[in-house]
Amino acid sequence: MSRHRVSILGVALLAALLAAGCATAPKKDYTAFRSENPRSILAVPVVNKSVEVGAADLFLSTLTVPLAERGYYVFPVDVVKHLLEDDGLADSDLVHSADTRKLCNMFGADSVLYVSIERWDAKYMVLTTQVTVSFDYTLKGCKTGDAIWNNKQTMVYQPQSQNTGHPLGNLVAMAVQAAVTKAAPNYMPLARQANGMVFAYPGPGIPAGPYRPEYLKDDAPAK
Amino acid sequence: MTMRKAVLMLLVPAAALLAAGCGPKQMYTWRGYDDSLYAHYKNPQDHAKHIERLQKIVTQTEADGLKMPPGVYAEYGYALLEESRFDESVTYFKKEKETWPESAVVMDKMIRNVSRLQGTKKTAAGGKKSAAPAAGGSSR
Repeated sequence: MSRHRVSILGVALLAALLAAGCATAPKKDYTAFRSENPRSILAVPVVNKSVEVGAADLFLSTLTVPLAERGYYVFPVDVVKHLLEDDGLADSDLVHSADTRKLCNMFGADSVLYVSIERWDAKYMVLTTQVTVSFDYTLKGCKTGDAIWNNKQTMVYQPQSQNTGHPLGNLVAMAVQAAVTKAAPNYMPLARQANGMVFAYPGPGIPAGPYRPEYLKDDAPAK
Repeated sequence: MTMRKAVLMLLVPAAALLAAGCGPKQMYTWRGYDDSLYAHYKNPQDHAKHIERLQKIVTQTEADGLKMPPGVYAEYGYALLEESRFDESVTYFKKEKETWPESAVVMDKMIRNVSRLQGTKKTAAGGKKSAAPAAGGSSR
């Protein structure tokens, strides 16, 4: 594939992303969400289904900013984690299977966000390394304890090839880059992008919370 | 103009739009709060650095007269509590509660925890020079 083709593909992809981020009417049913109308979100420790041991905490650190920017009060994730541990809920699987409304009462929350990491891995393929993250998000309302929103997001990153002007040089450069990515895969930008896309609204994301000016005014017209 | 330049000219504003999330700018000035949490989870044993980072965020945000983003005061208060800096931690739990009423239940719980811990500490120290009764509600 020529460089121009790659660039054009990039533009097309960006345009599609832009369109998805700005224009798409939500296809989700937000009735349950609206009836709970949460002001606050309790993001509990993340369940990790990947083999990367530290991923759960690292990912937890990315949740506060995008959720607060959607206009919600977000409970301090590290304080929450410690309080749950003190309460015998050190294992995130236990937290996720605990009674939602019990968690709500414990913290005075309006909703609880459960995230599980489905993938967090780097696959080495000789000339390239593919980094993949994948998350499953569920928000439960504290009035009913039922799910009021859920979404999934997968992000894949493959380093761009550098053109050294020499075919053999290109191969070497790609292999080196792949090895570097493999040795120290950078998951965090991907994780942040996943959150950015998953919470964006309109779209499949979360409507504006009470601290945003468009609170309760951002309902997309019925399709 | 080369093709490459043209493509770049298209890409840059598109990327900027994407970054802005198609909406208004960020509501809060975070000053790397998420990075501070990340660093904390990466190196949990380096507690002094954790406190230092949070303190910088809190001090600068207050100096600029900006609203503290959700959770930052509380996280700082908790870091202080872990160092047994009880009175300071209560100060920041109270600030979290004042800034964000949604946090009242947890912050009240934290403040009660601190009084209990202070009580235990004082008893353990043989109750020497007890400036205030150990029971809750004494801190201001």
